[in-house]
Amino acid sequence: MKRNLFVNLAGVLIAMLLGAIVMLIQGYNPAETYGALFGYSLANFYSFSTTLRNAVPLILTGLSASVAFASGPVNLGQPGQFLIGAIFCVIGGLYVDLPPFLMIPFLLLLSMLGGAFWSGIAALLKKFFRMDEFITTLMLNMIADYLTYWAITYPLFEPRANHPQTPLITKNGFMPKWGNFNTNVIVMLLVFFVIWFIFNRTIAGYEWRISGKNSLFARIGGVKIEKNYLSVMLLTGALAGLAGGLVIMSGPHRFIKGLGANYAWDGIMIAMVANNGITATLLYGLFFSILQTGSLGMELITAVPSELITVLQAVIVLVVVAGRGYFELMIAKIATRRKLKDRDIHPQFIDQNAINREDTKL
Amino acid sequence: MMTDVITMDHIVKVFPPNVVALDDVSVTFREGEIHAVVGENGAGKTTLMKILYGMQEANSGNIFFKGNQVRFNKPGEAISSGIGMVHQEILLIPEYTIWENVILGVEPTGYFGKIDRQKSRQKVKQQIDEFQFHLDPDARVEDISVAARQKVEILKLLYRNVSFLILDEPTSVLTPQEIPQLFDELRRMRDNGRTIVYISHHLEEVLELSDRITVLRKGSKIDTIESSGATKRSLSQMMVGREVIFESIRKQQKTGDVVFDMSGVDYSFPKNRPLLQSIQMQIRAGEIVGIAGVEGNGQLELVNIIMGLIKPDHGKIEIQGDDFTHASILERRKKISFVSQDRANMGSCLNASISENILMTHHRLNSRFSKWNGIVLEKAQINKFSEEVRNSFDIQMDSTDAEMRSLSGGNQQKTILGRELSLDTPFLLLDQPTRGLDVGSIEYVHEHILQMKDEGHAILLLSADLEELFRLSDRILVLHRGQIVANLETEHTSIEEVGILMLEGGAQ
Repeated sequence: MKRNLFVNLAGVLIAMLLGAIVMLIQGYNPAETYGALFGYSLANFYSFSTTLRNAVPLILTGLSASVAFASGPVNLGQPGQFLIGAIFCVIGGLYVDLPPFLMIPFLLLLSMLGGAFWSGIAALLKKFFRMDEFITTLMLNMIADYLTYWAITYPLFEPRANHPQTPLITKNGFMPKWGNFNTNVIVMLLVFFVIWFIFNRTIAGYEWRISGKNSLFARIGGVKIEKNYLSVMLLTGALAGLAGGLVIMSGPHRFIKGLGANYAWDGIMIAMVANNGITATLLYGLFFSILQTGSLGMELITAVPSELITVLQAVIVLVVVAGRGYFELMIAKIATRRKLKDRDIHPQFIDQNAINREDTKL
Repeated sequence: MMTDVITMDHIVKVFPPNVVALDDVSVTFREGEIHAVVGENGAGKTTLMKILYGMQEANSGNIFFKGNQVRFNKPGEAISSGIGMVHQEILLIPEYTIWENVILGVEPTGYFGKIDRQKSRQKVKQQIDEFQFHLDPDARVEDISVAARQKVEILKLLYRNVSFLILDEPTSVLTPQEIPQLFDELRRMRDNGRTIVYISHHLEEVLELSDRITVLRKGSKIDTIESSGATKRSLSQMMVGREVIFESIRKQQKTGDVVFDMSGVDYSFPKNRPLLQSIQMQIRAGEIVGIAGVEGNGQLELVNIIMGLIKPDHGKIEIQGDDFTHASILERRKKISFVSQDRANMGSCLNASISENILMTHHRLNSRFSKWNGIVLEKAQINKFSEEVRNSFDIQMDSTDAEMRSLSGGNQQKTILGRELSLDTPFLLLDQPTRGLDVGSIEYVHEHILQMKDEGHAILLLSADLEELFRLSDRILVLHRGQIVANLETEHTSIEEVGILMLEGGAQ
């Protein structure tokens, strides 16, 4: 745990240092730039609540990817599930009208259903045709992309709009706001706790975790792998779908072309940096939202283009992920040296390959 | 006097984090000899040869080839010096013909890199004839037998002018009938002036084939001896390091009702290759039945069928009178405790915590470990149970929250046994429960197995270690080429008799 925290903090700091060097080379002032970045995303209630609101889709799609990867299924369909969740939400919001206390839960459920429906297709393709979800979820992303594009261009097109978009959903389906604080954050936090609890404290979560680490062991231990596969696919689809629904309900309140184009891919990236940890996904989601939200301010105040933040994100991913592997390698090396020393043998060279392969077969 | 070709001098190899695979091993190979390297599983035989062959690096020590110090960084360098290795797994391209496989990577080429098919085929053909390999160079590899594929592997090395051949357990993929032929070919190669290193743990083979024998035990070299002076008994004593005949510690006791009943089980894969044929066995409460057999004679399939990982073509499995032939794995686990020989992949999850490893299967079978209708984990009970298992099986660990990986092999096995034996099922399936363990741990495991027998469990024990089978079992079934060829009372048989049955399959 402590080791983990160290690797992550060190990785982020090194990445920011690298970012500073890039800025220096380009002739910008790093201190001023980082100041603007964090000032615009954290300094006051207004900017912090914007950061929180923007973090919601990142964290939800990140949780979707983390839970899937940690349990085994390689669900890479968050972008598609996000879009289908959003379109389900919009359809519900256009054709149904209920008082807010019913409308909001109804739309949330509907968007989860949309996401689960989309990931469920991939799960069924696996069940009946043994098609790998790694491929099918990616392909379904394309289909979702063009399907929703078609839907907002023709059947759901807002008359007289000058580009593809749907009309506004009913006002009763808007997420309430307190000042600039959007209640979508509360939904996200609730979902986070539920997911954390399922994953760490329930029998099903235990089975998912073990299956993700060693599915043969789980299978021979009596775990129903196929059933769990289906549950994980549906749950993670629902999470991504919920992210899509919440973006509609807390943002433009309608489906606009190009909606949330990058949220889901960023979510997958966050799951990777977080090493599929549930809490780490929440923290990295927040951090990436700070960077992304702050980048707009940075662009306003300084001359640094906001694209630099994309670079910074990529550097963080590389440094943290690579650092994790390297750290393990270092520990293994030290242990080998110690063992050799115990035996009074001078280490001439240590077999890097053997460490990489973890090849302890004699 | 024959000259030395290769000298490996004070080789040390440590696998991270702290497994000492080779501890100061020195061996000399002479020109034109068949030199066997023997030792138990994990003794370091393969590692030693991989170091020579450039697949792994030693942490210290030197290698001398014809008097010059060498260090091969990759197999390619070893091959160009004339050293080649045939691995246990065969690596050929099935769609290619034999000659195409042989020349792959060193194709004789004409203008513009065009392969000279005529010439290369001719050369391969010549080599096949020279060593009397009886192969058709135009046959596709996918159409030929495993034994023939192995010959192609050897041919590949001969084609590259290798004069020093290392064979890693070559007979493990062969049927008994194919072995003498391989031996003839190896002798012929030796008589042609090549040096052959032969890795094996089959003592009969080694005594029959080799000129000299090097014995390794737990990463140390015990000795190099002339084969002519050695016997099976002296060799096995050197390999194991103690008087190998365990005292039988079985107690006579009355057995109860039939618990496990398997009848008429057939299994083929693919369809025309029978791996198990009409397997029949009954095990009573309080009885240990041992399965003896050379590895690869159907043991794996038998275990997988009992556990429900594969479905038999015909036949029936009953436990305490209930039909389990088509039961789900979870259903089976209510009646079967299972210790797998594959500790790292099937028996445990190395990167999960020890308590998570101990919880497996119990979490579904014992309501004590969950609350809210079997939905939520009952942490307190799980921790208590992990501590119970830790204490009653004397597992050395820092904490039950540590990763399974951090335990030594013996303690991992104790953890697995602790989990499985506390399931307290009527039937126990133990597949090589002491494989790779040190003597102390073996003793410990044996005591626990006998205790389970005393408590009236029915036990099926598979082991490659005949002494273990004789020490524990009441009856021994011999599995040979997928059939049970003998059902012997342990009292009325001997290791020699079982050994012969294992190899020859009885008088059929």
